[in-house]
Amino acid sequence: MRKPGLRGKLYLGLFFLLFFFSVLIYSMVARIMREALLEENRNRGISIAANLAARAAEPILTLDFLSLKNLVDEVARLNDDISYGFILGRDGEVLVHTFKGGFPVEMKGANTVGNRQQFSRRLLDTGEALVYDYAAPVTIGGERIGTVRVGLLRTRVETAISRLLRIVFLITGIVTLAVGFVGAVLANSVTRRIKLLQQSAEKVVRGDLDIHTAPTLRENCWEVMHCDNIRCQAYGKFYHRCWYLAGTLCASCIAGDYATKIETCRHCAVYKKSAGDEIQSLAESFDYMTLSLKERMEELQDAEKTMREQRMLLKTILDATPEFVYLQDCQGKYQAVNRAFCHLLGKEEDQIIGKFDHDLYPPDRAERNIEENEEVLRSGTLLEKQEAIESGSGYRWCHVMRMPVRSPEGTITGILWSGRDITALKEMEARMVQARKMESVGQLAAGVAHEINTPLGIILGYAQVLLEEIPEDDQRHQDLEIINRQGEICRRIVADLLKFSRWSKSTYSFFDPNEVVEEVVSVMEHTFNLDRVTIRCLLDPLLPGLFGDRDKFKQVLVNLLNNAHDAIGKDGRICVTTFFEAASGELVMTVSDTGQGIPREDQGRIFDPFFTTKPVDKGTGLGLSVSYGIIQEHGGRITVESPPGADHACDKAMDRGAAFLIHLPISPRRTEDPEKLIERRSAA
Amino acid sequence: MWKTVLSLICLSLALLVPGCNQEEAPVKVNLAKKEQVLHKAPANVITYAYLPQYSHTVSYERHRLLVEFLRRETGYNIKQVFPDTFAQHMDMVGQGKIDISFVNPFVYVTLAKRYDSRVFASVMEGPGSSSKFRGQIICRADNPAIATLADCRGKRWIAVDPNSAAGYLYALGLFHSQGLRPEDFAEIAFAPGPGGQQEKVVLAVWAGKYDIGSIREGTLGVVRDKIDLREIRVLATTPWYPGWVYSARAGLDPKVTAAIARALFKLSATDKEQRRILDAAHITGFVPARDRDYDPIRNLASQIGIHLD
Repeated sequence: MRKPGLRGKLYLGLFFLLFFFSVLIYSMVARIMREALLEENRNRGISIAANLAARAAEPILTLDFLSLKNLVDEVARLNDDISYGFILGRDGEVLVHTFKGGFPVEMKGANTVGNRQQFSRRLLDTGEALVYDYAAPVTIGGERIGTVRVGLLRTRVETAISRLLRIVFLITGIVTLAVGFVGAVLANSVTRRIKLLQQSAEKVVRGDLDIHTAPTLRENCWEVMHCDNIRCQAYGKFYHRCWYLAGTLCASCIAGDYATKIETCRHCAVYKKSAGDEIQSLAESFDYMTLSLKERMEELQDAEKTMREQRMLLKTILDATPEFVYLQDCQGKYQAVNRAFCHLLGKEEDQIIGKFDHDLYPPDRAERNIEENEEVLRSGTLLEKQEAIESGSGYRWCHVMRMPVRSPEGTITGILWSGRDITALKEMEARMVQARKMESVGQLAAGVAHEINTPLGIILGYAQVLLEEIPEDDQRHQDLEIINRQGEICRRIVADLLKFSRWSKSTYSFFDPNEVVEEVVSVMEHTFNLDRVTIRCLLDPLLPGLFGDRDKFKQVLVNLLNNAHDAIGKDGRICVTTFFEAASGELVMTVSDTGQGIPREDQGRIFDPFFTTKPVDKGTGLGLSVSYGIIQEHGGRITVESPPGADHACDKAMDRGAAFLIHLPISPRRTEDPEKLIERRSAA
Repeated sequence: MWKTVLSLICLSLALLVPGCNQEEAPVKVNLAKKEQVLHKAPANVITYAYLPQYSHTVSYERHRLLVEFLRRETGYNIKQVFPDTFAQHMDMVGQGKIDISFVNPFVYVTLAKRYDSRVFASVMEGPGSSSKFRGQIICRADNPAIATLADCRGKRWIAVDPNSAAGYLYALGLFHSQGLRPEDFAEIAFAPGPGGQQEKVVLAVWAGKYDIGSIREGTLGVVRDKIDLREIRVLATTPWYPGWVYSARAGLDPKVTAAIARALFKLSATDKEQRRILDAAHITGFVPARDRDYDPIRNLASQIGIHLD
């Protein structure tokens, strides 16, 4: 069965309450009235009997039958519900009676009264009616001289009782109907408005805050006050009462919200005229609460939007920064992290937030973090150090700072950890050390070469002199040939050393790089072909001229081609490409091969002096170093890819070989005079 | 909720059920069986009457025990009867309906004159146990116009009965001695209706209907319970006269009279039971009386011009 609503409950309750109390009142009133009437009737019978007894005393004494007869007749005549009356003498003899046609014999003994009793009542059934028979003694000075008997018709009393009960029933019914009607009207008024409130509340729950629960007024505040100030917040608000609204502009209004102004408003004519009962006040309050809620919601949404934007901004900043950042609370729980730190740990953000150090690090590292956090919390100062952190791609060197985060009150609420990746810096430092070491070696080699060059020239000079003097068929001539040839090798080595240690003066001019490439390739192609190594050139015909040292550029190209040839050995292919990279304004030349490639561990050292993987008699390890220096002298850079990228591979089908990429600026910077540039580079 | 509704319905229906009728079961009476009521006069009855100076009930209360005593002592069926007025009393004596009369001396001399009644006893009463009694003239205590008997001239007078001794004749004699004649009063009225005349006089004066009243001494004590006696002033008291008498009608058997007289004289205040009889009758004792003892009454009547026959 469907549960009854509030209206149903009220009607049902009202109905049963009225029914219950109607029945209760009717039954109680009926009972009381019945008892009262019966009691009144009893008292009346007693009174009549006692009165008759008093009046009959002297007539009994004097045996004045006329008076006695008059007495009983008078009683019967004046009381139409008196059925009969008679008087007995001292010895119980009937003196007078009102019966017609003789005295009923059984009546005398039907009711008796003792000398000490004031009266006696018996209910007699005469066959025609029920009669209350009252007997009262007649006494004088305590001496019983007779008895009076009076009979009251009960039927008459019951008729009166029935008539009264009908009237009571009718009145109770009318009152019940009237109360029920009034109650139903009131209940309907209450439940209708409560239902409206409930529907409004449901709308609010569903998110609809544009509700109007309070009724419109016959006369609104601006009409009561004859106001036409449209700037007033209450003007035109048909569903909101002015005492709830802040910003009303009546002269009697005080500024402020409901809590501030309501006491003043209670004395206002508008309030006195418009304030309703409790339910109407509730509806008005509800409307105002909804209005306030709507405004607060809008403010909250704006604030939330701003906060979201701020959070996104902060997140963007945090994520954009290359430093690793996270925030822990005082218990060590991770509150916030940036993307770099997530990347460092190789975890997602939601895998870190809410976790502790023990959840993220090995035990020793976690313990160390906890100790450092405790130290920061205890001292309240910054903790700074460098440490190697294990990441997904191996160990990374970081410069880390662990600093306390303080609330506006100054108490420490957490710890901010910031780490900067200084692995590259560390490697640069190592290379710098190595470079300085190489520089020392170079200088040492140059000094040695310079010192050897002169005696070597003398040795070669004398060897050549002796060769001219000794016939070719002489065994010594052959020995001298060997000395001369090995001496030439030594001189080339010394020359290379001198080139490395002491730069020759560059001659800058504009030249066509493609032309240089074609020239070098044409010279070296034949030699390479002997080992079935082919050179393929893909040259950009629209390449602009290059400002630089043509010979040194050629030397670089020769070194790269030789290295490629050495890497291939036999049966391979070399690709030389040139093109102009408009975005950077640079000329890009690539020399790629299908050789054995360069191991990854060697790729960082191939430009170091004397680094070579060739046999002892094949290279000095200075070719790439020299090329590196030349390209740097021209303001460019040279890099290596092994295996080469797809854009630079000579044979895209093969995943091996190496590619050297040379980026050279086409022209000097506009602000710099080419002549000065030449001077600066020459000086360098 | 439905349980509550059901409970309320049950409770309401329970209230509708009338309570147990605890009324008695009616006694069936057959009215058809009837008889005629007839009263036969009892034979050999000696009637005894007290002059109705008071109401019948007072007379009955005072003499009930005495009559019972006489009945018991004499063996005669003595029954008290109640004439309504002094005149009726005297008429009943004349008719032979009253055998023994207890009357005032003036009525006695009248009865003796008219019907030859014979006195055989006189009563003693009052604190002094005297065989004499007297009357009183009363007025309202707050009546400033009446201070002496002379002030009664022109006033309205109510007396007990024209045949009352203390209630009229003694007072009339007193006024006569003061020079006031019946015609000197604005009105002389007598207490109306049967019995209780003495009390009626007191109440008529108390109510202001009459200026003065004449009563037998001792009447004020009878009405003590009806009015505040402080509102009544006794203006004058008459001289003493012979007290009340018992007389027998002419023709009554002298043996009966003698038996009753003996029984009366036998009553003694020293006997506890007999004392109760005497107290009820407001009598202290009985003494023999002779007719000539009442000549002063006859003289008074003659003096004020009342003819006894």
